[in-house]
Amino acid sequence: MGTTVLRGCMIAALCVCRSVTDILSVVTKVFLYSGLGRNDKPGRVVEESDGRFDIVTVCLFFMVLCHVPILASPSFAEEYTFDVSEVEKKPYHIGGYIEFYPILFGLDKNSAMYKLNFYDRNMAGTTEQYNGNLQVDASLEKGISRAYMKTFTSYTDSWQTQTTKTHIFEGYLSVKPSSSFIVDAGKKTMNWGKGYAWNPAAFLDRPKDPNDPELSREGFIVGSIDYTRSFTGGALKTFSFTPVLVPVYSGVNDDLGEVDHVNLASKFYFLFQDTDIDVMFLTGGSRTTRYGMDFSRNITTNLEVHGEFSLINGYEQTYTDTAGTVSKRSYTAKNYLVGLRYLTKSDTTYIVEYYRNGTGYSTTEMRDFYSFTDRAYERYITTGSTDLLARALNLNQQGAYGRINPAVNYLYIRVMQKDPFDILYYTPAVTLIANIDDKSFSLTPEITYTGITNLELRLRTGIIAGTRGSEYGEKQNDYRIDFRARYYF
Amino acid sequence: MVGTIIAALVGIFLAVPVFAVDGAKLLDQVDRNLSPESYESYRKIINVEPDGRKKEFTYYTVKKGREKVAGLFIAPASEKGRTTLRLGDNMWLYIPNVGKPVRITSLQSVVGGVFNNSDILSLDYAVEYNVEKVEEQGKEYLLHLKAKTRTVAYDRLRMWVMKDRSLPSRIECLTEAGMLVKTLHFKDIKDFGGGIVRPAVLETDSPLYKGYKSVMIFAKITKRDFRDEIFTLTFMPKMESLR
Repeated sequence: MGTTVLRGCMIAALCVCRSVTDILSVVTKVFLYSGLGRNDKPGRVVEESDGRFDIVTVCLFFMVLCHVPILASPSFAEEYTFDVSEVEKKPYHIGGYIEFYPILFGLDKNSAMYKLNFYDRNMAGTTEQYNGNLQVDASLEKGISRAYMKTFTSYTDSWQTQTTKTHIFEGYLSVKPSSSFIVDAGKKTMNWGKGYAWNPAAFLDRPKDPNDPELSREGFIVGSIDYTRSFTGGALKTFSFTPVLVPVYSGVNDDLGEVDHVNLASKFYFLFQDTDIDVMFLTGGSRTTRYGMDFSRNITTNLEVHGEFSLINGYEQTYTDTAGTVSKRSYTAKNYLVGLRYLTKSDTTYIVEYYRNGTGYSTTEMRDFYSFTDRAYERYITTGSTDLLARALNLNQQGAYGRINPAVNYLYIRVMQKDPFDILYYTPAVTLIANIDDKSFSLTPEITYTGITNLELRLRTGIIAGTRGSEYGEKQNDYRIDFRARYYF
Repeated sequence: MVGTIIAALVGIFLAVPVFAVDGAKLLDQVDRNLSPESYESYRKIINVEPDGRKKEFTYYTVKKGREKVAGLFIAPASEKGRTTLRLGDNMWLYIPNVGKPVRITSLQSVVGGVFNNSDILSLDYAVEYNVEKVEEQGKEYLLHLKAKTRTVAYDRLRMWVMKDRSLPSRIECLTEAGMLVKTLHFKDIKDFGGGIVRPAVLETDSPLYKGYKSVMIFAKITKRDFRDEIFTLTFMPKMESLR
């Protein structure tokens, strides 16, 4: 599989190169740094070409398509010019991106999640998914008012489905009587918290995917006010107060919690002694009352530290034993996160975060759930009955077991190298997300190229590993390879 | 005897004439000649690769006082709507997709290339540096600047200042150990109106990025006053409304 990844990386790198010199340079460097140059069994490099790489072929085809106009791009030798008419402001704006995003999954047929999702199918070792996404954001500004909308349309073609869906991620009206007073009403994301991979204090946001934390997410329908004051000469430089009203009724934010409530959330922000500090709460009945705080501060010119904490009163957790007996318990959940971002002299960025998920399951509880799933699957095989599988599926999809990170202690490490080998716009990176308690993990190497204006190419693979009964060991996939070509307009 | 004293005095003045130059005042003058205390400006940032290929960014900047700067990317489409904010040593980047400001450090670069964040969101030099020494070199003064704190991106600067205009022609950025990190070249002096006459092109190269260079072109610099609340995290997503 390593050679597969390497091959993919080489294809991506080659396709975005724009000269013979670049191609030779990249081939040489990847070859030398990979150790393939020392491989005395060259046949191993190609032995995995077993027909599963249609997806890679598609990537190659697309990247070559992208390559064509670049080969014809002229040499830039003219003087620098900048005409102010280029920046004339219009009252409206339409922009966004369109992307092609195929994924190849390598399935782990012995895992609990595979058994749960594919119990009645005989899948091959791999499965492909082709995605096409279109995100459009548009705004119209008049006087102190601005209307804004962000839509996300996704096309998915996989073994399971061929669907096209459109979601309105955001759509709100903003009125700004002054720079210190802004009123928003409509569907919007609040994006509270300072964590990069997780945000335990983001009470009004949908969960972030730590594998892709910068993706847009759908908001909730809210009414909010931002009141801001700046101060000079003291330790407190800025203060902001953001009260938010969140109605939850049938058809309106009903996935947030219990319906027929109008909830109140607020955030207080302070820039105090060069430290960002937020204090927030949510109350009102749809969810139990919760409190949070976060901070962020630059320690030096290349080191930032941040943290986040939340306390959830009366958190109700549903759990199962190995026999599938479902129970509930209520307790005060404490979640916290500490992290840092560090930039070295050689332009390597490290993002490290530790996350304690107080709403998560212990290793034993996770293992009990996987054991129950195995039992449910065995029962299906021997009797054809799906009743236990349905219960397990419900616990996974409706309960907390199916969350992106359902356990308690996590470590996130992301290392990015800007412009390696002195080539601008290539950013290789590797991301580790580990369950500290059961020592299972996902490791995601990737390479991103942004050298072509408005085009971003990313090739990455995810290696998912762990022992049986561990969180990542029981994931549906052993590995995944995905490619994303995103064009901004 | 009198002749000897006069000759000695003349000799002293000729030998160290720059003792008459107040380095701190000269640096203040350089700051004011480069930009008013509060202004808005448009600039284009161009990263040039060794083979001549370019990547361009269009950037709108507002500044108030000595240590409040904010910027908005207008182009290309992939960067449009990104905003940056600097309050003294604190810097943030807002990416519309991410939806919230995140702290960045001065040595990072939001545009790639040779310019880093402290170059793009530069404050008055006098805010961050003390003048240690002034030398006279023909038609220019050479100012040796030392960072006031360790949070400043470059520990030392060598700034060549044109005597006739009190504008920099070249600045070398050095580490604490004296290693050259980058050189800024100020070119193409232009009248922007409102009494603002300054170089319109700022070019930089670095021994750390051999063959690469980055260029900043100023197209418009206009005096303008802003409320303090413009320079806050809450206002970052709304910066487009200032244009």
